Amino acid sequence: MSVPKSNFFTTASYISGVLFEVEHTITKHFNLEENNLNLQKENILLRKKVPSFLYNDSPDSLFQKDLSYRQQFSYIPSTIINSTTTKRNNFFTINVGQNHKISRGMGVFSSNGVVGIIHSSSNHFSLVKSVLTSDINIDVMIKDVGAFGLLKWDGKDPRFATIYGITNDISVPIGSSVITRGGGGIFPKGISVGRVKSVKSIEGKPVWRIQIELSEKYGSLENVYVLRNVFIEEFSSLQNEIQSQ
Amino acid sequence: MYLLKSFLLFKTKFNHNKMRLFYGVILRFFLFVFLQAFIFNQLEISPYVHVMISPLYIMLLPFDTPVIRLLLASFILGLCIDSLSNTFGLHASSLVIFAYLRPLVFRWFSPREGYDFIKTPSIFDMGNYWFLMVFGILLLLHHLWFFTMESFSFDELLLILLKTLPSSMLSFIVCIILQTLFLKRSK
Repeated sequence: MSVPKSNFFTTASYISGVLFEVEHTITKHFNLEENNLNLQKENILLRKKVPSFLYNDSPDSLFQKDLSYRQQFSYIPSTIINSTTTKRNNFFTINVGQNHKISRGMGVFSSNGVVGIIHSSSNHFSLVKSVLTSDINIDVMIKDVGAFGLLKWDGKDPRFATIYGITNDISVPIGSSVITRGGGGIFPKGISVGRVKSVKSIEGKPVWRIQIELSEKYGSLENVYVLRNVFIEEFSSLQNEIQSQ
Repeated sequence: MYLLKSFLLFKTKFNHNKMRLFYGVILRFFLFVFLQAFIFNQLEISPYVHVMISPLYIMLLPFDTPVIRLLLASFILGLCIDSLSNTFGLHASSLVIFAYLRPLVFRWFSPREGYDFIKTPSIFDMGNYWFLMVFGILLLLHHLWFFTMESFSFDELLLILLKTLPSSMLSFIVCIILQTLFLKRSK
């Protein structure tokens, strides 16, 4: 079922956004400690990659600025002000909007893993269609095997999701990590999604039904980043060229 | 304002008692939107339990409210709750179903001499058995419609039933508690 694209009757509208921001000023303290710990962990992970913090084994060589890499994504930090995890389709409201150049179809992730895709946005707020919806269909791959599949959620438990579309001639070890594939230009390759929990075969179909444990705890999630692909216009114009032929 | 008043009142003639009822109904509207959107929607007990108290507002409207006003009131209430909980018309549609079926179920369980319009359809005025049957049936249908529309596929029929039963039971208990807290017992 597709839902309307308008944001007037959602929590991304101005009135409800302001109401939920007031509510958030109270409820944000409930998970403060856990969220701060997550941010600290991410900071440590990033500090390990800063060149000036590393021990230099060969002091003669200088660090060179690598010119062959260019920034593909810009990151917009934001806070979740309203979220649900137990409904069939769960939407999150974040406190950035069109004023921060956010538009429909951008990816959202946090320090622990993938969160969702922007569904609609007003001037100050946006609605995120989270992983916990029936037709999220994020391109994912199993890291060690390299097999591609689609992520879906069956609506029962916010800790687990399912991957469909991996054929059963590929053996998938339990416990291998699942990351985003990076197709579609929404997410970069390699954002963590979860770990494989069980692999079952579907009767009459040559594909696996792979249950994964999601790496993000959506219930206490607060700090997220919105991804804006710098090359998205180039990318989508190429895609449209194929479709129009 | 005149239209609003005439929309909710049976008689538009100025009447002190009716005025009090009118403001009570409006105040109760905002109370129910607030309770549903900011308290019961934020209580995330389990994926199978979703407490919905908004049907109680439609249930407690007076016996002599015309069907058109019932439907309009339930649609507006549903839209307000929808816009605060990202459900895209789910509450509105299921509340309209509730309001549409209300006169029907009321007719099934009507007393022999008909309803007394001075009374309200609450658990205190109409008795435990009447309220259990009428509100129970209506609430079950409301929840069934809500979860069917939410999943929108009959592949998940078992999940829909597993959600409907515990949710409607807990909603029913919460609705009884709300009535004992906020309604006056009639003498």
